[in-house]
Amino acid sequence: MSGQTPLPAKVPPASAGPSAAIADMPLEVIGQPGVPFVEIETLRAREFIPAAKEALTSLLKEQANGKLIRPVFNWAGRNSLFPLHWGLACCAIEFAAAFGARWDAERFGVVPRSSPRQCDLLIVNGTVTWKVAHKLIALYEQMPEPKWAIAMGNCATGGGPFRTAYSVVPGVDKLIPVDVYIAGCPPRPENLLDGILRLEQLIKERGA
Amino acid sequence: MKTNELAARLTSKFGEGILGVDEFPGLLGRVRFDAAIASKLFHTFRDDLGFAHLTMVGAIDWIDHREVFYTLWSDADRVYVMLSANLPSDAPTIASAVPVWPSANAHEREAWDLVGIRFEGHPDLRRIFMPEGYAYHPLLRSFKIHEPEDLEVKVRSE
Amino acid sequence: MSEMWVNMGPQHPMTHGLWNLRVRIEGEVIKDVEPEMGYLHRGIEKISEDRHYNEIITLMDRTCYVAGLAWEQLFIVAAEQALHITPPERAEYIRVLSAEFQRIASHIMWYAAFVQDIGLMTPFLYGMRDRDLILDLFQSYTGGRLTYEYMRVGGVRNDLPLGLTDRCRKVCDWLMDRFVEYDRLCLSSTPFHERCDGLGVLEAPEAIAYGVTGPMLRSAGSRRDLRKDRPYSVYDKLQFDVATATTADVTGRYLVRMEEMRQAVRIIRQCLDWLDDHPGPVMAAQLPRWLGAPYAPVGNEAYLLKRNYPTGVGFSMVEEPHGEAGAYIVNDGGEHPYRVKFRSPVLINIWASKRYLPGYRVADIPPIMGSVDVCVGECDR
Ligand code: SF4
Repeated sequence: MSGQTPLPAKVPPASAGPSAAIADMPLEVIGQPGVPFVEIETLRAREFIPAAKEALTSLLKEQANGKLIRPVFNWAGRNSLFPLHWGLACCAIEFAAAFGARWDAERFGVVPRSSPRQCDLLIVNGTVTWKVAHKLIALYEQMPEPKWAIAMGNCATGGGPFRTAYSVVPGVDKLIPVDVYIAGCPPRPENLLDGILRLEQLIKERGA
Repeated sequence: MKTNELAARLTSKFGEGILGVDEFPGLLGRVRFDAAIASKLFHTFRDDLGFAHLTMVGAIDWIDHREVFYTLWSDADRVYVMLSANLPSDAPTIASAVPVWPSANAHEREAWDLVGIRFEGHPDLRRIFMPEGYAYHPLLRSFKIHEPEDLEVKVRSE
Repeated sequence: MSEMWVNMGPQHPMTHGLWNLRVRIEGEVIKDVEPEMGYLHRGIEKISEDRHYNEIITLMDRTCYVAGLAWEQLFIVAAEQALHITPPERAEYIRVLSAEFQRIASHIMWYAAFVQDIGLMTPFLYGMRDRDLILDLFQSYTGGRLTYEYMRVGGVRNDLPLGLTDRCRKVCDWLMDRFVEYDRLCLSSTPFHERCDGLGVLEAPEAIAYGVTGPMLRSAGSRRDLRKDRPYSVYDKLQFDVATATTADVTGRYLVRMEEMRQAVRIIRQCLDWLDDHPGPVMAAQLPRWLGAPYAPVGNEAYLLKRNYPTGVGFSMVEEPHGEAGAYIVNDGGEHPYRVKFRSPVLINIWASKRYLPGYRVADIPPIMGSVDVCVGECDR
């Protein structure tokens, strides 16, 4: 991701050293929205690690309440969303296809994990029935904060073709808060990737 | 085997218990029988007539009565046959086929769950799809499907 | 040692869907199992009573989401029987072509998921890559990747586009090479054999008593295949062999599915040749007006057109990738079917786990249940 975007003017030339950009900034500014660590994204990986190390150490040293580290967490968290490995219905097949060879969702840092304790994203990929509703809530509760949810497909959004069925929850937002809705029956893998990128945008703007 | 052959063999064995053997498109026939002889009939079909596969058990709600149907497959004759029995709506009870064909287990639980047929002698007759404690048998004609908004109103008002 | 019950599911990497396997274990040994289904029960049979025949096809794709076209065919065969309609032959060939491609796609999906279960990651990526080629073909003549809504009562929605048969041939050639690669990846791998050989044995007589069908039954040496035993559509005009194995274990099921894919390619090639030589209509000419092609009139209009249409029943059994699927349709002359009942092979195959799981270890559950090829959508309907 980092390689292609043009460097914003604020970042000093690479020769000055990446750490200079952060070390020179007054600490009060770093906490402000918009200014601080957005530029980190444009750093190369090999420059990033020492820079991040330095910044974190200095922040931790100076900041007892941890408020200023938030942008770092925000940046790191939104670029490594771990969804729960859980297939509900048909949309789960497209969910799996998105992790296959052609779409390769892992290049966005999205890696499905099997335990809710390791996840921060619940992708509801299919029809939710009343029988599974309390299990879904339990899984959502088990995920550590901060966490997000994506309703993938028409079923999760509003019941889809099974809206009138006696056993189907008409929309998963009746059970858990949903951040991004993806339309489609099923949505194509591109749609899912788009939804995940939109969620990243949302996290960036709204904060965790 | 032909349909009339089957009819002759069954009526000679069960007499009154067989209510009729109809032609049925694509099948050897449909045997309508009295629910009282169910268990004996199942044994006859498996042991004497060679229908070793039970492929389907289902039920239909005809409002004034309910129908249970079984489809069987014979490897030797390469045909399907359908057995069907009418049960009264107020006491839809029939002998279970599980002792004869263990594969009936899941089918019969499904028929109990969705249409409310009681299978006597079933080892574990519980709901299979709907959660335990659900009050309705959803595939009955009297159970109307509704827009979810109605359901919400109902849940909230309770 | 004391016994205990363990829940595997509804969220568990083993399940591949939404179901729960309750296992009674003593130490590491499985004593008893109890599957718990219904987490994906969507009331498809009930909704069908409220839909027109052509609208139910939409639900069929969602019923079995890895083999949508096979289930469409299942419903269509029964519905045409119930409504007394005969489709043109070209439509039948297109249906068989679609169903066989769907069989390959479904088996590849199974392969990808199953081999990942036993710890090999590469086959997942290979499998998904090759499956996408088949989905691309589907996309170019049905418009959908997963949910097609392609078949109609009386035929299929549209004819194949120009040049599709040649693309199909190319994909077939590519796939035949890949099958060799799949086999090399798995059968030459020691971990594969150590995790699969001799597990989940279910001999033929027991399998028949428990109603098990499909590759699970054929891996026990039975030659039962509805495409041969009770040919529907045009299968009686096509040459193919029934794939069998003798070991009745997980490896046997793997071998059967691999061979079935090769046979499916054989069937597809015959269909392609036939389709090239026989252009023609793909929709029945004498369709009752209320069913109108390709889109059905809805609501009152259809009802008015349909009055006095004869009643009927339709019964069909189809060799679907997972096993034998069945449909029973009662047409009472009304606008919608009176009752639609489906038989799901996977539900019965899972239920037989009471027979083939006890005695093995807990760590054997993923390969054994993986070899069943679970698709919860069709179990729960
Ligand atoms: S939105 Fe469509 S494809 Fe997705 S789970 Fe619902 S029915 Fe299946």
